[in-house]
Amino acid sequence: MVAETHPHDIELFEYVENELPQGRREEIAAHLSTCPVCAEQVGLAAAGRQALRGAGILELPEESREEILRNLPARELERAPGERRAFSTKLVFAALAGVLLLAAMIGILVSSNGNGLESSAGGTGAADATAEGGGGEAAQSAQAKLFATGPAAAVAEDLRQKGFDAAVQQDRVVVHGATKQQVREALADRGPGDVEVVVKNP
Amino acid sequence: MEDPDAPLVARAQRGDRLAFEQLVERHQHRLLTLAARTLGSADEAADAVQEAFIRAWLGLPRFRGGSLFSTWLYRIGLNAAHDQRVRRRTEPLDATREPADPQDSFLTSELSSALQWALNELEEDYRVAVVLYDVLGCSYTEIAELTEVAEGTVKSRIFRGRSRLAELLGTRTAGE
Repeated sequence: MVAETHPHDIELFEYVENELPQGRREEIAAHLSTCPVCAEQVGLAAAGRQALRGAGILELPEESREEILRNLPARELERAPGERRAFSTKLVFAALAGVLLLAAMIGILVSSNGNGLESSAGGTGAADATAEGGGGEAAQSAQAKLFATGPAAAVAEDLRQKGFDAAVQQDRVVVHGATKQQVREALADRGPGDVEVVVKNP
Repeated sequence: MEDPDAPLVARAQRGDRLAFEQLVERHQHRLLTLAARTLGSADEAADAVQEAFIRAWLGLPRFRGGSLFSTWLYRIGLNAAHDQRVRRRTEPLDATREPADPQDSFLTSELSSALQWALNELEEDYRVAVVLYDVLGCSYTEIAELTEVAEGTVKSRIFRGRSRLAELLGTRTAGE
């Protein structure tokens, strides 16, 4: 039987890819034999597929690869012992400052019912509860929001410098593969602001 | 799904540079292809690849294995390519910049082909979808995860991207 309406793109795609069950495939084939609009789309999609499949994998020049490896910055685990010690001292001070700042922020949040770096959008704080409720494992695939002093591009750059996968998307900063806590600590020196930072934790 | 990169990723997360070098070896060409085909520029693609690997190296301690390493890396690559594109729009042309290595004629000729011209004309969502699926051979699941849309949307974008691309190539051929 010929479908009365045009099949959706998804089914036409599955037809080109030969992924439809036999019965549905036959129905689409019957539709295509009587519908020049869909038949043309399928013909174009098949031609586009062929053109794209002919495009090979491009090769990164050897010198570019060497440059990448030469320019890999040191991560803290790799620092020389002397550096590591100096870094550790700094880290202790930074951690202490972070704890104090966090305590101050919690104080502010408790006393003013949400006017700090944390998002208070949504009223009930549902986003926060989703992101942090139930501990680290339960937080998988959750997302959470923070607000920081901008501009957005500078916040994203700041996070990237600290090793986060951050990008600006529609005036928001989206961070993948990190926890809210990690991002909050990384942005602690920026303080609250109007740039929305969305943390996605797959 | 078992990640074939998992053993190297675990070592690289502990700071093993040799393990990371092997990951670079494995993924460098595909990451370049993704960047070059979505940006249409050899120079910018090489910069995006370099930036992506550096971000990946720095971000590895936080990679939890919730997706394949390659999916995670490609997303970083797409973000780096996106940033290159934004810079291209906002920064003046750098006259002192060296052109792409002339020895790299294959890359240069590929990026001046009719196919690349048509890819450049596509909407970004379509371009990314067809490059990931048809050129790099990623699965729907990977593309859906990378681009944060449903698998049905991925299929629809590939279908429309392919059709539009063929239309553009046809127009160009007819006009020659």
